[in-house]
Amino acid sequence: MISRLLELFLAYEEDPNVKLVMLKGEGRAFCAGGDVVAVVHDIWAGGWRAGANFFMKEFSLNYLMATYSKPQVSILNGIVMGGGNGVSMHGRFRVATENSVFAMPETALGLFPDVGASYFLSRLPGFFGEYVGLTGARLDGAEMLACGLATHFVPSAKLPMVEVALCDADSSDPVIISSIIDQYCEKSSLKEQTVYNRLDVIDRCFSQRTVEEILSALEREVVDQRDGWISATIQTLKKASPTSLKISLRSIRVGRVQGVGACLTREYRMVCHVMRGEFSNDFLEGCRAILLDKDKNPKWEPSKLEHIADTTVDRYFSKVKDEDWEDLKLPTRSKFNLPPYVIAKL
Amino acid sequence: MYKDLYHVQLKFMSSSSIFSANTKTESSKNQNPNSKMEQAFKRTQILTNHLLQSSPSSQTLSSNACLSYSPPELSENYAFDIKDMRKLIDRHNLEERDWLFGLMKQSKLFNPKVRGGKVFVSPDYNQSVEQQREMTLKRIEYLLEKGAFKGWLTEKGEDIEMRKFAGFEVCSIYDHSLFTKLGVHFFLWGGAIQFFGTKHHHDKWLRDTENYSIKGCFAMTELGHGSNVRGIETVTTYDSNTGEFVINTPCESAQKYWIGGAANHATHTVVFSQLYINGTNQGVHAFIVQIRDADGNICPNIRIVDCGHKIGLNGVDNGQIWFDNVRVPRENLLNSVADVSPDGKYLSSIENPDQRFAAFMAPLTVGRINIAISSVYQSKVALATSIRYALTRRAFSLKQNEPEVLLLDYPSHQCRLFPLVAKTYAMSFAANYLKMLYVKRTPQSNKTIHIVSSSFKATFTWNNMQILQECREACGGQGLKTENRVGQLKGEYDVQSTFEGDNLILMQQVSKALFAEYMAAQKRNKVFKGLGLEHMNKPCPVIPLQLTSTTLQCSQFQMDALCLRERDLLNRFVADVSKCKAKGESSEQAFMMCYQLAQDLGKAFSDRAIFQTFVDAETTLPAGSLKDVLGTLRSLYALICIEDVSFLQYGYLSVDNGANARREITKLCTELRPHALALVSSFGIPDAFLGPIAFNWIEANAWSSV
Repeated sequence: MISRLLELFLAYEEDPNVKLVMLKGEGRAFCAGGDVVAVVHDIWAGGWRAGANFFMKEFSLNYLMATYSKPQVSILNGIVMGGGNGVSMHGRFRVATENSVFAMPETALGLFPDVGASYFLSRLPGFFGEYVGLTGARLDGAEMLACGLATHFVPSAKLPMVEVALCDADSSDPVIISSIIDQYCEKSSLKEQTVYNRLDVIDRCFSQRTVEEILSALEREVVDQRDGWISATIQTLKKASPTSLKISLRSIRVGRVQGVGACLTREYRMVCHVMRGEFSNDFLEGCRAILLDKDKNPKWEPSKLEHIADTTVDRYFSKVKDEDWEDLKLPTRSKFNLPPYVIAKL
Repeated sequence: MYKDLYHVQLKFMSSSSIFSANTKTESSKNQNPNSKMEQAFKRTQILTNHLLQSSPSSQTLSSNACLSYSPPELSENYAFDIKDMRKLIDRHNLEERDWLFGLMKQSKLFNPKVRGGKVFVSPDYNQSVEQQREMTLKRIEYLLEKGAFKGWLTEKGEDIEMRKFAGFEVCSIYDHSLFTKLGVHFFLWGGAIQFFGTKHHHDKWLRDTENYSIKGCFAMTELGHGSNVRGIETVTTYDSNTGEFVINTPCESAQKYWIGGAANHATHTVVFSQLYINGTNQGVHAFIVQIRDADGNICPNIRIVDCGHKIGLNGVDNGQIWFDNVRVPRENLLNSVADVSPDGKYLSSIENPDQRFAAFMAPLTVGRINIAISSVYQSKVALATSIRYALTRRAFSLKQNEPEVLLLDYPSHQCRLFPLVAKTYAMSFAANYLKMLYVKRTPQSNKTIHIVSSSFKATFTWNNMQILQECREACGGQGLKTENRVGQLKGEYDVQSTFEGDNLILMQQVSKALFAEYMAAQKRNKVFKGLGLEHMNKPCPVIPLQLTSTTLQCSQFQMDALCLRERDLLNRFVADVSKCKAKGESSEQAFMMCYQLAQDLGKAFSDRAIFQTFVDAETTLPAGSLKDVLGTLRSLYALICIEDVSFLQYGYLSVDNGANARREITKLCTELRPHALALVSSFGIPDAFLGPIAFNWIEANAWSSV
C-alpha cells in the first residue's frame, strides 16, 4: 500500500488536473498504523534488511507528503495511530472529528515514535510532544485541534459536504481550501478531564533533561497532589521499553531543532539500529508480547533506565556500520515550486 | 492502556483507503446546487487573489515576473555528514545543547515570532531598558526551574565544567545579556566564592547561589580603575573591637562602576578593596557584602545608581556602587589566600604580594575563556545567516534576459565570506583546545592558561567584530533589521573587546610573557618548552623563493611561515626591549616603547597557536570527505594569516609570493563554494536562533504575513 501511495502521490503531483489530494480511511479507522506484524515476520524471514526496505519506503512517502507541492487534506474520522499519523500529519490540512483517536504508541512496542514524529511532535506547544510521544497517550479530536495536530474539527455528519465543496472549489490555494473547511467546522469542546488542562504539569515534568528526571518530577507531583492521572502516567512510562523511552526523548529533542528531512533521515538510522537489535531486542519482544502472544508482559532488556548509558543512546543516532547500508535517500523536490508552508519545514 | 490499541488489525491502513483526487473541471462548478455559497467562494477567491497577487489567470505571468524563494536545501548537496562536522566543532554535550535550545524555543518568555511559517526566538530589543532587564531575569528563572543550572556550583569535575561551557554557549547564542547576567552570577560571584573562599564560604553560599536564593554580583572595576585592578582605591580596615571589616569608598573615582546586576537585582556582591591592617596596605582583597535585603531594598550605608542605557547589553542592569563605611563580619573576607585573625593580625601563606595578587586573579581566566568561546558562536550565527541569504538572494544579470546571479556565485562575495568561515572553524578548534586546557588544569599549567586565554580572547573577539561587520554588509539593508540579528549583534558584542581585560593590553601581556620565556631560556641556556614555542629550538625555516599552489596548500609550509614570523618578531622584540633597557629605561618603560612589536608578536603567537589546533583536529580524522574539506579550510585560514600586512612589512614574503598567496585564496574560495551550506549548517545553530533573512525572506515579508 505504501508503494501504491507513493506512485499515486508522485503521479498526482505531475498531473495539472489534480488540485488537491484528499486522504481518508474506509471503515472505522483512518489508519491504525503500519503492519508491524508483517515487518516482524519479514525480519524473522529475511533479516533486518527486509524491515529496512519497508521503513525506507514509508519514510520516503512521509517526506513526499511533508514537502508536497499540492495541499493534502486528511479526514481523520476514526483511529489515527503510528504510521497513520505519518501519512496525515505532514499534510497541509488535518480534519478531526468526534470519532478521532490519535496516538503514537511505539514506546509500548519497543519502538519509538517514527514516521517523522520527531518533527511534528516536537513542534507541539511546550513539552506536550514529549508527553504524547513517551506515554503514547491518546487524544480525541478536540485535543488534536487544541494542540495543533488537527487544523480543523468537523462533525463526521458534515464530512460528505466538505468533500463535495472541496471538489467543487477545484482549487490548490490553501487559503481557499481552509476557508471552505472552516464553513463546516464546529466548536469542539475539550472534555472536563482533558490532559490539555494539565499542560502546566506536563511542561514542568516533560521539559526535564532525562527520562529519569521526568519520572522523578512526576513522582514529586504525585506527592504534592494525589492525582490519578499523574499516577497513571508514571505507570505507563514504567511499562514502556526503557530503551525506547530514552531514544524517543532524544529523538524528539533533536527533532525540535531539525527540518523534516533531517528528522526522517535520523529516524531511519534509528529504526535500522532498532531492527538490527545490536543493543536491545525490545522491538521484537514488544511485538511478541503485545501483538503476537498477546500476554502483554514484555520482558524488556535492558530492563531499567539506569542500565542504558548515554553512549548507548548515541549509537542509535550513528550511521549503521554495514557495508551495503546507506542513509535514507529523500526524494528530490527541487523541480517543484514548493509553497511557503512546505519551505518552512525543510 | 494499550489493550484495545491494536485491536484493529495492524495492517497498513486498517482497510484500504480511498483517494479522491480533485480533478473536476471548471464546468462542473455550475452544477453546484448552492449557488449562493458558490458566489461567496468566488468572492473569497477574488479577494484572496488580490491579497496574494496570484489570480489563476495571471499565475504563469506573475511567476515569471516575480522572484521566488528557492530553499538552498533543495539545490545544494552535502558532500560530508554535517552531524559529524558539528560533533567535531561543538565537540561536547550536544544532547545537552539541543535540550537547552528546545527549552528556549518552547517558551513564550523567549519571545517566539513566526516569520515565513517558521518560529524564531530572539529578545525584543525594542523594549525599554527596564523591560529587557526583567525579561532577562525571567528567562533565567525559567531555565533555573527546568534544571538547566543543576550542579553548576555544587558539583565538581570535568563533566560539570564542560556542561557549564555548553550551557553558556547556548545562552550566548540566544542573547548576550542572558549570557552576561548568568556569567556574573555563576562565574564571577560564584567563582569568587569557590576560588577565593574557603569551606565555610562554600557551605554557606554555593547552594544558595546555584538555586538563586541569593543573586550575586562582582564589584571590582571602579570609575578610575579598570584593567589595572591593583590600582583600585576602595579601602577596607579592620575593627578588632567589633570583629568587623569597614569598607569605604573614599573618593568619587573609587565608586564601583559597570557592576552587572547591581542596578536592579543583585542581593550580594564581592567587593575588591585595598586592605589596610594597622596602617599597612596588604593589597587587593575580596569581601562579601550584602547590598539588598530580600525585598529588594538597598541596604544601609550603600548607595547605588544605574549606569544607564548602553549601545548593547541593555538586558544587564549595570550599576555604580558607593560604600559608606559599610561594616561586615570578619568571616566575610574571602580567605583562601590571606586572612585576618580576630585580634587583627594579617596572615598569608603567600608572602610575595605579586604572587598573592596573581592567585586572586586566577579565577578571572574562566570568564575570559567564556567570552572567547561565546564570540565564536556569534560569528557562527552571522555567517550562517549571511551565507544562507547569499544562497537565495540574486543581484544583476550578466546578460540581458538571463536570471540574476546568486550573491554567493560572485567571486567577490565568496572571498568576502569564506575566509571568515575558515577563521571561524579555526577559532572553534582553538576554543576546544582552550576549554580542555582549562578543565585539565594543574598548578603548573596556570601560566599557559593565562597566556593562551588572553591571546585567544583578544583575537576571537576582534575577529568576531570584523566578521559581524562583514556579514552585516553582506546582508545589505536586511542586515540592519534587528530581527535579522547580525546588525544587532554588533552592539551586543562590541563590549567583549574590553571585557575582562582590554584586548590591546592582553596582547601586550602575551608578548611580555613570551619575552620572559625567551629570557629564561637564554639565561639558563635551556631549550624552549611549552606554549608551542618548541619551534624556536629548531633551525629557522626558509620560505621557498617561488611559492607554488602545492606548497601554499602544504600544512608544513603554512606552519613554517607562521613560525618564522613568530620567531623573528620575538627576536626583534627582545632586541628592541634590550636596546631600550641598555639606554637606561626601566623594563616597564621599555615594554611601553616597543608596543608596536608587542602587538604584532601577540598576533603572530595567536595565529600560530590557533593554526596548530586546526592541524591537530584535522590529523585525528580518517581520510574522507570531512578531512578533505577541513584541509581546504585549514589552507584558507593559513593563507589569510600569511596575507597579513606583517608578512610583507617585515619581508617574510616577497611581493610576488604575496600575489601567489592571494591567487591561491581565490582558488580555495571557489573550491569551498559547493560546501557553503554544509559548512554553515554544521555550526549546529537551530533555525529558530538565526534571523528570518536566513530563510524564506520573501514569505517573511509578504503582505499576507506582515
